[in-house]
Amino acid sequence: MELQAIYVQILALVIFAIGLIVAVSRRNVFFVLMGVELALNAVNLSFVGFAKTLPADASIVGQVVPLFSIAVAAAEACVGLAMVILIFRNRDSVDADTYSNMKG
Amino acid sequence: MLALIYFIVLAIIAVGSAVCVLLSRHPLYGALSLVASMVSLAGIYGLLGSPFLGVVQIMVYAGAIMMLLTFVIMVLNGARDSKTPMFDKVSLFVIPAVIVLAGLVGFALVRSPIAFDAATIRGSVAITSKTLFDVAQTGPGYFVLFEVLGVLLLSAMGAAVLLAKKRLGSVDSEKTEDNH
Repeated sequence: MELQAIYVQILALVIFAIGLIVAVSRRNVFFVLMGVELALNAVNLSFVGFAKTLPADASIVGQVVPLFSIAVAAAEACVGLAMVILIFRNRDSVDADTYSNMKG
Repeated sequence: MLALIYFIVLAIIAVGSAVCVLLSRHPLYGALSLVASMVSLAGIYGLLGSPFLGVVQIMVYAGAIMMLLTFVIMVLNGARDSKTPMFDKVSLFVIPAVIVLAGLVGFALVRSPIAFDAATIRGSVAITSKTLFDVAQTGPGYFVLFEVLGVLLLSAMGAAVLLAKKRLGSVDSEKTEDNH
């Protein structure tokens, strides 16, 4: 029994599914943000896992791209939390179902 | 064999704390579980042979992003709606749909023949920085992307300050600035 490449992908898939469930089904807006972060983490893990299946030079690419993805996630969290503060000030609630003023 | 044992332990911690994020009622507990999940994922990066990525994961994700999230949760008192139910009727459809999707993707993954390559390069600090800052004409050109990311982070910071401020130039916001 050795560590197989498929185990890493299965783990990434499970974490991505949990993150998607958290982002879509929870009502608290902080949990929505946390679910997005969890799904992004799972994608990074999948990147690294696939990079390790490639030979020499090609395997560096899969270990550099997650660095950029982490930086973009940092920017996303920054802007997302600022928007949460802004909406919270107007609505005085963290329940995502009350943010319905754009409903047609 | 030892790598497999480490992987199983770290994977159980990661999945368990991800489930804790799903089921916890207070956002602060969810944030702390998320930190545990991210730290164990960093361990898996180290195990797979990308130690630099693991360190960046701990510094940026478990350090910076989660600090920001925890700070905002505590400032806004994010648990004030903890009386409302965590899930609603839509979740009854969403959760089975996501599980079926994951099952389909997992089936496709298991059928595909992937295996670790023995000649793969360990993503140490030296090799990662050499690839990232290779300014040669024939190089991969990641340094341009790196500069663009600097601009992106700067603009994100500016946008966050503009969004979260009460109103630009109003007496109210200037008064709070004087207080600090």
